[in-house]
Formats: sequence, structure tokens, C-alpha cells
Amino acid sequence: MASSSASLETRNVTKYFVRRDQVKTEALRDINLSFGNHEFVAIVGASGCGKTTFLRMLGGLIAPSSGSILFNGKEIVGPGNDRGFVFQADSLFPWRTVMSNVILGLEIQGKPLSESRELAQRYIALVGLRGFENHYPHELSGGMRQRVNLARALCINPSLLLMDEPFAALDAQTREIMQAELLRIWNEQRKAVVFITHQIDEAVFLADRVIVFSARPGTVRDIIEIDLPRPRDMTIKRSDKFIQYVDRIWKLIEEEVRQSVLRPS
Amino acid sequence: MTPRQFRITASILGGAAIWEVAARLFAESALVIVPISDVARAFVRLAASGTLGRDVVVSSIEFGGGFALAALVGIVAGLWMAVSATFRDLMYPWVSAFNSMPVVAVSPLLIIAFGIGLASKIAVVFLVSVFTILINTLAGAENTDANLVDAARAYGASRLQIFLKVVLPSAMPYIVAGLRLGVARGLIGIVVGEMFGAQAGVGHLIMTSGEVFATADLYVGVLLLAVAGILTTEALEWLEVRLAPWRVSVLSEPNRKAARRGQ
Repeated sequence: MASSSASLETRNVTKYFVRRDQVKTEALRDINLSFGNHEFVAIVGASGCGKTTFLRMLGGLIAPSSGSILFNGKEIVGPGNDRGFVFQADSLFPWRTVMSNVILGLEIQGKPLSESRELAQRYIALVGLRGFENHYPHELSGGMRQRVNLARALCINPSLLLMDEPFAALDAQTREIMQAELLRIWNEQRKAVVFITHQIDEAVFLADRVIVFSARPGTVRDIIEIDLPRPRDMTIKRSDKFIQYVDRIWKLIEEEVRQSVLRPS
Repeated sequence: MTPRQFRITASILGGAAIWEVAARLFAESALVIVPISDVARAFVRLAASGTLGRDVVVSSIEFGGGFALAALVGIVAGLWMAVSATFRDLMYPWVSAFNSMPVVAVSPLLIIAFGIGLASKIAVVFLVSVFTILINTLAGAENTDANLVDAARAYGASRLQIFLKVVLPSAMPYIVAGLRLGVARGLIGIVVGEMFGAQAGVGHLIMTSGEVFATADLYVGVLLLAVAGILTTEALEWLEVRLAPWRVSVLSEPNRKAARRGQ
């Protein structure tokens, strides 16, 4: 499968939210980042650091208050077929079967149904759900639902995958398996990925680079290159190097996480 | 015959038998209750004379016309209110006023306005069922999961596509529920409408039979209404299976059993 190249750059991206009582909350301040082709980048930070807001801006679901986001040289002004979004919550359509969920993006684009189905079939197989095409989401486990979520995003053949804590709702064992699965699929597809997570070990395991956000307003606190060999398997999580990365990132956000636990959201 | 069908049939036959025996042994007056065999004879007599057929046809047209109109207006207006804040705000006071009002109370006015023919009853059925359907449709459309709207938007859906692919299917189970509630109200509407002035119809049959103490004939009308209620509910269940199959399978066998037990 052809993998297209991507280049993504954010320039002084700042985002305010205005609450109902007119109080301005600064969610993100001056984010300047660039993402390479085929690069797997994870973003971690304490809850409320604006990482999901940032991802939604990359997806074009919301606009920055100031600054700009350039994708392949063009400014992002809305959602586009060049980006596939994998959501955190259950965002599958309950009235659609697995097949019908996976072709959603193509259907919205107006692609012919038979062609879409053929394509979807390949991605359903890729995420390991062959045989479940006609199942409804409520008939699937949490892990299977997130596989569908991933297949749906891959099916539009985006050059950039935006993943918003996709495994957060899964139990620990399923999450481990899904992480390994994601790396296997990423190895075949080699898309650029921006992966939001609050799990530091997940970020280190998956990513080429981990970007650490500070708490509100979110700013880039540090960027850590993860120099671990690929392909990675789960045994790498017990290596000294891996543990050192996790410790280092934890120290960067520890204080803020402690505060966020005590702060009403 | 499955065990379930057998038990249901046994229950119906048993109920009829108890009715028959109780009416013969204990009823002091044939004005309040008559044996079910008398009701059956009255049914045959009325059917043979052709008046029952006419009553059923008239009431069916009234109910069908009024309910179809109510479904169309209720669903369209409900969806429109969900997508347009202006329309919603304009409609809201009237919808909530009419919905909380016992609309059957205005049926005499409708008879005066539309005469004692079909039109007035269609108006009554329409008016008693439309707001229930509308409010359910609106609630369903407003309950659309924001995550699903986001997902559709992320894949580039237009406003129209979001409406057709997210809002409408989300509202579908609520719409069907609204239709079911509307059916029950509509049946009441027919009887009430025909009582205030009609030349034919099942409600008219009940009313005139009551006036001349023809209790068996009255029961024919009442039982017909019960059968009509059961048939329309079954028809809507059939519709729900087609329009919202995921809901039906969510209500899986154990839940359905619990629901049947009334838990």
C-alpha cells in the first residue's frame, strides 16, 4: 500500500476558550512544533493540559485562536481526507455494522459503494476483524471496537493519523495487545501519527518522539527522542533504557499531575 | 405451536371462560356485564347487517388519516426544531402548552368547526397524537451523541450529511417510541371524537349502544378497540425491527423477558 508523505507544522498556536460567564481560559500557548514524514509522535501531559484540544485543531475540528497550522504547506482550515481521526470515546455508529462503520469516510466522500467495501475489507482484515463485518458495535469487545475505529481512519488512506487516547478505556491487558497491534499496522502503513495519551509507558513504547505538555495553559515543556530499536515488542518495556525514559518523562510532569489530582476540574 | 404461543392462547381462552361463567353466575344486571357468548352473537349480528363493517371502515379512515398526518407533521416539525434554534424557540411555547393540555377537551370545538363527518375526527386524532410524536422526535434528535457528530465532521461530513447520517438515525428509536405513544392517544381520540358527534364509527357504536342499554353491542366496540390497539402496537414493533435493528438486538432476550414481565 502506498504511503504518502506528510509534513505538519504549528506556528505560535494559541487557543482560548471563553466560558459562559465570559471568563477566558487559555488552553494552549504558543505551540511551535513540526512533525516529520512517517514519524510517530506521542503527546503526554497532565489532564487538562490541552493535548486533546491540540489534536482537535490538527484535525480541523476547532480553529486556533491565533497562530497557524500548516499541513503539507497548506493551512488547516477544516477537516480533510488527508487526516484520519481515531477517537477516544466510543465514536462508532451503533446502528451501523463494522463494515458500514469502516466505510463511513468513503461514503461521506461519495465513493461508489462496491469500491468502498472492497477497500474496507482490506482494512478490516488488517486490524484483525475478518469475519466480523456484519457485527454491530455492541456485539464487540472494547478492544475490537477500537480496531474498527482504527480501520475507519485508515480506510480513507490519510497521510496523517490523529489518535486521541484511543486505548484509554481499555483494560490493561487489552491495551498492551492493542499497542503491539498498532505498531504492527503502523509498520505496514507508515503513516505519520500524532498520538495523545496520559500513559507515559504507552507513549515511550509507541513513539519516535514524545512531546511533553505543561499544565494549563499547555506549552511544550520538553521533547524527548525515543531511541529504542524497531520493531519493538512488549519485552522492551522491561529494558533499563525504557524505564529511564519513563522516569524522565514522569519527573517532568509529576508536580503538575499531583496538582491536577487536587484541583477541581 | 410454541410453549409461548400455547400459554398465550390458553390465557385468552381461560379469560374468556372466566368471563362467561362469572357473567352467568354472578352478574346481577345484564346492563353492566353480559356473557361473552352474547358479545360474540352481537358481533355476528352487527357484522352481518353491515353496520359493523361500516363502523370499522369509518374509524380506520379517521384514525389512519389523523395519525398519518400527525406522524408526518410531528416528525418533520420535531426534526426542524432540533436543527433550527429559531424555529424551536418560536414553536416551543405552543408545543409545551398543547402537550400539557388534555386536547380531547377541545374535541367539541373541532366537531363544531369541521362537522360530524370524517374531518373532525381526523382533526381530533391528529391533535391528540401530534405533540407526543413531535416531542419524542425532538428529544431523540437532541440526544444525538456529540462524539458521533464529531466523528462525522472529522471525516468531512456536510451539515446535510450530519443530519442524514447521524441525527436522523439517532432519533429513530425515539420516533418509533413517539409513534407508539401516539397510537394509544389516537385511539382515545377516535372514541372521544365520535362520542361528541358522529354518524358511524366504533366510538359511535359504543356511544349509541350505551344509550339504548345494548351492553353486548357496546362490548363489541370495546373489544374491537383493544384488538386495534394490539395490532397497531405489533405493527410498530415490526417497524422498529426494520428501522432500528441495533436497538432491538440491544434489547436482547433476557432484557425482553424482563420487559415482558414488567420489571
